[in-house]
Amino acid sequence: MRARSAKSRTADLFAAAPAPVPAAALAPIAAPAAHAAPAPAARPRNRQLWYAVVFPDLTVPETALVTLQRLCLHAQGFTSFVSIEPPNALLLEIRGSVKLFGSLQKLRADIDACWRGLELTARSAITPSTLASLWLARAGGTVQDEGPPDAVMLAKQLSDVPIACTAWDEALLQTLRAMGVAKVGELLRLPRAGLVRRFGPAVVQALDIALGKQPAPRRAFVPKERFRARSDFETEIDNTTYLQCALEPLIERCARFLRERQAGVQRLRLRLRHREGPATEVSLGLASITSEQRRLLDVAFQKLERLELKAPVRGMELISGSLRALSAESLDAFAGLTGVSGRDTAPQLVERLRARLGEEAVYGFCLIPEHRPEAAWRRVRELRAAAASQPILAAGMPRPVWLLDQPLPWSKPEILQGPERIESGWWDGKGVARDYYVAHPRHGTKLWVFQERHSKRWYLHGVFA
Amino acid sequence: MVKTWMPREATSLADILADARVWKLKDASAAPARPVWSTGRSSLDARLPGGGWPTASLIEVLLEGTGLGEVQLFLPALVASQASMGSPWLIWIAPPYEPYAPALAQQGIELNRLLVVRPPSATEALWAAEQALSSGVCAAVLLWLAGTDDRWLRRLKLAAEAGGALGVLFRPERHRYESSPAALRLMISKGENAAPRLDLLKVQGGRPGPIDISDP
Repeated sequence: MRARSAKSRTADLFAAAPAPVPAAALAPIAAPAAHAAPAPAARPRNRQLWYAVVFPDLTVPETALVTLQRLCLHAQGFTSFVSIEPPNALLLEIRGSVKLFGSLQKLRADIDACWRGLELTARSAITPSTLASLWLARAGGTVQDEGPPDAVMLAKQLSDVPIACTAWDEALLQTLRAMGVAKVGELLRLPRAGLVRRFGPAVVQALDIALGKQPAPRRAFVPKERFRARSDFETEIDNTTYLQCALEPLIERCARFLRERQAGVQRLRLRLRHREGPATEVSLGLASITSEQRRLLDVAFQKLERLELKAPVRGMELISGSLRALSAESLDAFAGLTGVSGRDTAPQLVERLRARLGEEAVYGFCLIPEHRPEAAWRRVRELRAAAASQPILAAGMPRPVWLLDQPLPWSKPEILQGPERIESGWWDGKGVARDYYVAHPRHGTKLWVFQERHSKRWYLHGVFA
Repeated sequence: MVKTWMPREATSLADILADARVWKLKDASAAPARPVWSTGRSSLDARLPGGGWPTASLIEVLLEGTGLGEVQLFLPALVASQASMGSPWLIWIAPPYEPYAPALAQQGIELNRLLVVRPPSATEALWAAEQALSSGVCAAVLLWLAGTDDRWLRRLKLAAEAGGALGVLFRPERHRYESSPAALRLMISKGENAAPRLDLLKVQGGRPGPIDISDP
C-alpha cells in the first residue's frame, strides 16, 4: 500500500519536472515520454538532512584523506553520522541534531565555526539529499533547504550548479558540454530514457539521488584506531595497589598515543586476566573527552581502589573507547576553571563523584525547545562548554523550581495567576492540552497546577521553592 | 593616673589590640574577608554581616516543609556568583525533586554549569558535598539532607572554608535544637497566612530574630 503510493508520488514528481526540452539537446537522444522510463525503486519518504562541506584547500590527495579523517572526529561532535567524500568533502546527517542544538541555524553556525576555528576554508550546503548538498557545496555553498525532500524544490536549487560540481569523470563531462549542457538544470531538462540509453543508468541514478527521489546509502566514518595494550605479570598480583603500579605505564602509553593523534577518549576498558575463569572487566568513564594522563590515572586508580578482586591477576589489558576530537570545548574551557584553591578541575571532581556514586548519579541539564514542561529539558552526562539555548517560556508566567516526575491528581485550588495554555505534542502521541495556573499559596507553599482541558481534572505539576 | 593594666611597651592602638588579654567584641558591620552574595532582599541583606550570604562557610537552613521559597532565597546569590566568577559550577546534592531546568535558566542560572548529584545514601551525600565544597571549582554547593550528626557538619564547614564556595545545607525543622557549627542558621516555617516566615537562629557577628521577607 505504502509502496504504491510512494511510487505514484515519484511519478508525479517526475511529471512535474519542467517539460520543455531544447531541440538541439533532444536531437541526439530521441526520447519517449519521461514517466515511461522505469521508475526508481520506491522507498518510504526519507527524513534525512544532509550537511555537506567542501574544503577547497585540501588539494594534495595523499594528505587530504588523513586530514579528512581527523576532521571527522571533529564533526562527530555534532552528529554520530559522518561520511567521507574524497577527495575533499564530508557529509553529515544532521536531522537528529537540530533539536539538540536548538535550531538548524544554530547547529549550522556551530559546525561552520568549528572549521573556522581550525583555520580552514569551508563551503557548506544543507539539503535533504546527499548529492544535492555535495554539489551545492562544491558550487560555493550556503544553500539551506530543510526539506522534506521535494524534487521540484531541489531541481530549482540545483539548476545553476555547473556540471563540473558533480565530479563525474572528465570524458562524460566533455560529452555533456558538447551537447550544450553546462549546468545541472539543463541536464535535468533532458529526457530520462535518452540519458539512460546514452550514458548508462549511473547518471540518471545520480540525478534521482540529487532530487531526493531515491535514497543514497552512505557508509559512516568509523574511527578504526583504538588504543590497546597489554601487560603480563611475572607473578600473580592480588593487591590493588600493585595493580595500580602495573597500570601506570599502560596509561602513560595511552596518553601518548592520544596526544600524537590530537584525540581524546571518554571511555576506557580495563581487563584483568586471572588464571582461570573469565576476566574482570572494569569500565572507566570520563566526564569529558580527554587525553590527559593525570585524569586517566585518577579515574583508573579510584576504580581500582574500590575493586574487590575475586582472584589473583595474571595480566591486564587496557583498551580505549573510540577516539574523539579534542576540541576547544573539551580542553580549554575547563583548563581555566581550576578554581580558587586549584585542587581540582571540574571534570576531575565529576569523575571522582562518578567513580564512587556511579555514572548515573551525576548529571546536568540541557534545554529542548519545547512547550510541554516535561519535554523542555533532559538530563545530560557529558560536560559541555557550549552555551545553552534559551527556554521558550511565555513572558510573565513563572515556572517552579521543582517539577514532579509525574503530575499528581489534585483538587481544584484557589487561583493566584493564570491560565497559561499549553497545547502541544500531538505529533508524537504524547500530546497535552492543559491550562496552567499558580495556586494561591496556603501556609507559605506556592504550587504549580494545571487543568486537563478535556477531562477538566486538576493536577499538581510543580512546587515553587 | 597611670593606667597600670596597659603593657608599658605598648605605643599604638594596633599593639594594644594584638594583646591576647584584650577581648574584642565582634562587629556586625565589619566586612568579612571572603566575598558575600546579596540575597536580593534588602531587609535580609541588612541583617547579615557583610550584607549578604557569606561564602567559604556553611549556611544551615531548617525547613518546615518543601516549597517555602527556600531555593528562591538563594537564586539571586547563585546567579551573581556564577556571573562574577566566570560561571563556575553549581552543585545540587540530593534535591527533593527534579530541578526544573527551564525555570532555572529563566532566572539566570547558567545551566552548563549546574550539576545534580543523586547519591544512594545520606553518608554518600555528605561525602559528595565535602568533595564538592573543598574542590574549589564550585561557586555554590546546595545539599538536602534528612539529618546528620555534628561531626559531619564540622567536616562540611572545614571543606567550605577550604574551597571558598557558598555552602548551603537544607535540613528538616526538627534539627533546630541540635548544636551546629554553621556560621549562619535560619529557619523557614509555614506562616499563619500566605507568606512563609523566616527566622535567623544564629548569626555569627549579627543579631538573631525574625525577618520580614514579604517585600523585596
